[in-house]
Amino acid sequence: MVKKIMNDEKSLEYLKKESIGDEKIVRTEIIFTPLLVVAPLLVGFFLIYDWYARDFILNELNLSGELMLGVIIIVGNILFDIPFIKSLTKFSREKQ
Amino acid sequence: MNKLVKNIQETKRKINSLDFDAHWYRRVFHAFGASFLFYYMLPDVDWINVMKFWVPPIAVALAISLEVFRLKGVISSDHFFGLRMYEKNRVGSYLFFGVAALILLWGFPQQIAIPCILCACLADPIMGEVRHRFGKKEVYIIGFLVCMLFFMVTWYKADLWIVFLVSIVGASSAVLGEVKKFWWLDDDFMIQIVPAVLLIVFLLSLKQMGVEISFEQVIYPGNMPW
Repeated sequence: MVKKIMNDEKSLEYLKKESIGDEKIVRTEIIFTPLLVVAPLLVGFFLIYDWYARDFILNELNLSGELMLGVIIIVGNILFDIPFIKSLTKFSREKQ
Repeated sequence: MNKLVKNIQETKRKINSLDFDAHWYRRVFHAFGASFLFYYMLPDVDWINVMKFWVPPIAVALAISLEVFRLKGVISSDHFFGLRMYEKNRVGSYLFFGVAALILLWGFPQQIAIPCILCACLADPIMGEVRHRFGKKEVYIIGFLVCMLFFMVTWYKADLWIVFLVSIVGASSAVLGEVKKFWWLDDDFMIQIVPAVLLIVFLLSLKQMGVEISFEQVIYPGNMPW
């Protein structure tokens, strides 16, 4: 039963809004989007900056791990941000 | 003044007319989780340490109450964009994600918590995309390699053979955690906790055999700018 529920194609579909056009509904996706896109990039750049300031320039600590994590976070996020933003413009154009 | 009001109204109209693709929104939400690693960068100062201790559980408690209200019908599911059908009458996977990240940040050393969080944030959506475009076999292979990269990066200070063993144990258990699906326990929880627990057991066994394992920091707390 459990397996059936999870493997069922329909169960993997996304919930559709029941109150379309209701202006009282807070569209959390609009509020969250800038945060979802910008926050991880900032963290990634901050990690790289920390490596640059405290390891590359001052040679204070070995922060190569921070550099690698920073790059992974930035690349990983850009990988999903680009199709997301593309889909945003495509969907909105279709709606208009 | 009138022109400004008109511009604001026009911008508002444009923003409100934005339509989101739930598929990519969910992927970006996953990737956003990588910013939780900021936790380790916070300076080692008394008041910040107090915040580090209290803010994550408060955020999770807030999410738990939101989910309770949603499941009881007090808050409409329409406010929660990107939920899947099976989450309609079940706790949303974002809560499983948050609880697992909280357990890792609080109770596990950085070298275990960081790669496990990254597996959920980046490897999970990558595996999802691979499954979407290719097949199951490719999911195992690519998922394993991506997870392995995360473990190798965080254990780079250890001996080579330890890096190798930890990466294999961590990556294979992360893939197992993602692939094994339960209705009542989300894979966003499993992909983080299964490798963390297995790694702890594995490292304790190594210690029992006389191998000395030291947990070294990967991300160092920052300095206060003043």
